[in-house]
Amino acid sequence: MSAVTPDITLARPLGLSDRTQRTLLRIATGVILLFLWEVLVRWLAPAFVARPVTVARALPHVLANHVPPGTPTFWGSAEATAVAALEGLAIGVVAGVLVGLTMGRLRLADRLLRFYVNAFFAMPIIAMVPVMTLWFGFSNSVRLAIVSLGAFLPICLNVYDGTRSLPAHYVEVAKSYRARWWNEWFGIALPASLPYVLAGFRLAVGRVLVGATVAEYVVSLKGLGYYIVYDGRTFHQPEMMVAVLFLAVMGVLINAAADLATRRLLPWYRRSE
Amino acid sequence: MSAVQATEPKPRLIVPRSVQGAGISVLGLVAGAAVWQLIGAHTQKSSFATFTATISALWGMTKSGQLTDALESSLELFGTGLAIAMVLGFVIGLLLARVRTLRIGLEPYIVMLYATPMFALIPFILSLFGFEFRAKVIVVTMFGIWPILINTMEGARSVNLDLLEVARSYRSSEPKLWRHVIIPYTLPYTMTGVRQGIARSLIGMLASEYLLAATGLGNLILTYTNQFDTAHVLAAVLVITLLATILMSIGRAIENYFARWKAGV
Repeated sequence: MSAVTPDITLARPLGLSDRTQRTLLRIATGVILLFLWEVLVRWLAPAFVARPVTVARALPHVLANHVPPGTPTFWGSAEATAVAALEGLAIGVVAGVLVGLTMGRLRLADRLLRFYVNAFFAMPIIAMVPVMTLWFGFSNSVRLAIVSLGAFLPICLNVYDGTRSLPAHYVEVAKSYRARWWNEWFGIALPASLPYVLAGFRLAVGRVLVGATVAEYVVSLKGLGYYIVYDGRTFHQPEMMVAVLFLAVMGVLINAAADLATRRLLPWYRRSE
Repeated sequence: MSAVQATEPKPRLIVPRSVQGAGISVLGLVAGAAVWQLIGAHTQKSSFATFTATISALWGMTKSGQLTDALESSLELFGTGLAIAMVLGFVIGLLLARVRTLRIGLEPYIVMLYATPMFALIPFILSLFGFEFRAKVIVVTMFGIWPILINTMEGARSVNLDLLEVARSYRSSEPKLWRHVIIPYTLPYTMTGVRQGIARSLIGMLASEYLLAATGLGNLILTYTNQFDTAHVLAAVLVITLLATILMSIGRAIENYFARWKAGV
């Protein structure tokens, strides 16, 4: 319920439910936006620029992998990026949780590592991509390294936050039952920090996608980043747009899933990135 | 050995906790530099320059003015893009908070754009606006505007009903309502979005320098990478990291400044 706009109900010419009206409004807005896109590009931009009609025409060909031989295929690229993203996420999350736990529980580790973690978190990771080509060559390792780093940093910082805000009496009770350090770390601190992992997950996914696409572009690896830039540069913009839309849909789905998980599992956690 | 000597406590150096902590941090930094130096000494110059080589490359770039030029160019791009993103994001966010139909209609598309890696749209922008400064500013704006817009919109929508009712009971006109109640209330939310926008705009700045006309810090990185000159590349990365850390600290400070009245809310 908005306080700024008086909560008048929308006029109901068709007598539909509120929810249906909203959906119709959203679809109508989408149609208007597509129309604007089509008209403006047709009128003002060069012929090769993508517009809804050409994208719709290219869509079945792209999805069926009908491309000139030698050019990257859509599904191959999508799979390559997805696999790399998942691998990097896995490595980053595991490493991030471990390092975050360590930094949260051991003041020594905290003091030693804090500066580096904060500096790397602030730095745009794509600054590291060209250097990594010198270290790892033009190989898949560059993308994996960037993606892992991108996932590691937000998770590490969030787990650190979560471990530090662990209520002290949990640990005290455990100690009075003679818990060992591994009980404390993995039985108390780790489960307590899982909500923070979820909160950092969204940020991690965003960084993973950016890192993967940029790495693919710089290193010319098979993947959506390379596919998009390749098709963009060879004037195959409608095909390129299919990949862009795919990335958009993926981003939305992942965010929605994270949102749902946060709301279901951690209703008390305030969203603060 | 007299009895007095045996009971005297040994003089000890008392180091306060805070100094201890800071000391360990400094130790960590020194250790990092040492590790850097060691790795650099044992690998080829074209793979990993030593810490000292990087610092001297950094000094060389500063003296020759190359670094200042690059910084100026990049910051001009970043600043323009971020400024436009802040203004547009704030205004459109307020507009969407006010006009319900627009908001309901546009919300899914805005969220979609927020979740998309904007890097994917750079070739599209290139085809419309070219390679040069104008296109790069648009890219930086596209990267940075979405968190600002969304946060402003959510902030303006969540204005406390009590505040509005009090203003209305004093017969406040609509412009006064905006100026004295809604905008001050929204600013902390906007600043949270600006902080996220700063981080995203930095990525946009580098991405546009990679994909469009290479200038500034991105150009430094690309050129020296092509020359296998890791000393200069790592120096440039160091500069970017420093710049990013400073900008993020500024962003956090601004956010905290604007949110200071919210402490009890």
